[in-house]
Amino acid sequence: MVAQDDGVARVALELPLRANLTAVDNIALIPLYQRHFDAAESTRQARAMLDALGYGDIAALRDPDMTPAQRFVTQLARALMLKRPRLIIDRPGAMLYDVPYPAFIAQLAARPEIDGTWEIYDFDWNLALYPQ
Amino acid sequence: MNFLAASIESLGARFVGWFGVGYGLFAFAGRAALLLLDRSTWNRATYDVVIKQVYFTAVQILHVFLGYALVISWLLITIILSTAREFGLTEFATEMTIRVLVLELLPFLTALFIALRSGSAINTEVALMRVNNELDALAHCKVPPMQFEFLPRLIGGVISVVVLAALAGLLALLLAYLSIYGLTMAGFDAFTQTVAKIFDFRIVAGLVIKCALFGLAVTLIPVVSGLETPKKLFMVPVSVLRGMMRVFFAIVAIEVLSLALKYI
Repeated sequence: MVAQDDGVARVALELPLRANLTAVDNIALIPLYQRHFDAAESTRQARAMLDALGYGDIAALRDPDMTPAQRFVTQLARALMLKRPRLIIDRPGAMLYDVPYPAFIAQLAARPEIDGTWEIYDFDWNLALYPQ
Repeated sequence: MNFLAASIESLGARFVGWFGVGYGLFAFAGRAALLLLDRSTWNRATYDVVIKQVYFTAVQILHVFLGYALVISWLLITIILSTAREFGLTEFATEMTIRVLVLELLPFLTALFIALRSGSAINTEVALMRVNNELDALAHCKVPPMQFEFLPRLIGGVISVVVLAALAGLLALLLAYLSIYGLTMAGFDAFTQTVAKIFDFRIVAGLVIKCALFGLAVTLIPVVSGLETPKKLFMVPVSVLRGMMRVFFAIVAIEVLSLALKYI
């Protein structure tokens, strides 16, 4: 149901990146089409978002060339770029199978340039993975 | 009796299927046409993607295409000229060359070339986008797939086929002149008079419309076919197969219709 809600930006396995676009182009689509910035400014904003998450070096990678963590960060950057009131990370274990994901997400959320509250939807049986 | 009922049922199902496909194509074309008229479509982003599409569909293959047009034109001009000389009809060779090559064969081959190179790629890409939920992701991000993915491909296809057919036609005219008159200006007046006689407004408009329809067919049909793909990876080859068969039938239908309108 949350997928239909305009106030929610989702990071989920079933909302993948455009496979033939680079990480930065995937993120730049949002300012380009929603806020009608030109290509150069949209790319600058997308790069800034990746830098803020500490992943500026993946800007030129396409989806098939990314590790699961890099792919997740790009999807997260795209969701952050949407600037919606809520950000939901839906079943992160399905996307972040190469890192201890609760710590990884906490580390991204703690970066100084990143603000807002993220909600994580995960299976009950993974609750033990999260710090209480 | 059962056989008759089954045959009628099967025929009816096919008819409904064809009607569904036709309706889907025209409905999509109608939506695209409405968006073309919408001012908000013509933003910088769409314009950039159109330029990219024209580059990938036409500019990137220009040297290969012109080489291919050169060889085909040279072969056919040689055949037409030698046959015309054999039957003592040399004075009709120029007109015959232009009518066969420039008006019919080269636009048809251009459409086939673009269909095989870009149409199949578009069909596969759209089918994969649908199967992998990439279109859903774009919708979630409120990036309109019609403006971002589909419309630029349609416009790029139309521009590419029209421009490539025009370039191939010009190349064929040049080759025809050189083959008939050689490297002299002696036949220039006669040649340009024949060209002017054939290319009246009706013929030029018909040629441009035909090429535009070819361009639309080689992009619109693969896009719609890709969008119809069920969300199963193994259905992607089936979608491309169906899409390319429809493209072939559409190209032949446009050519037949154009010939019928011109000569019957």
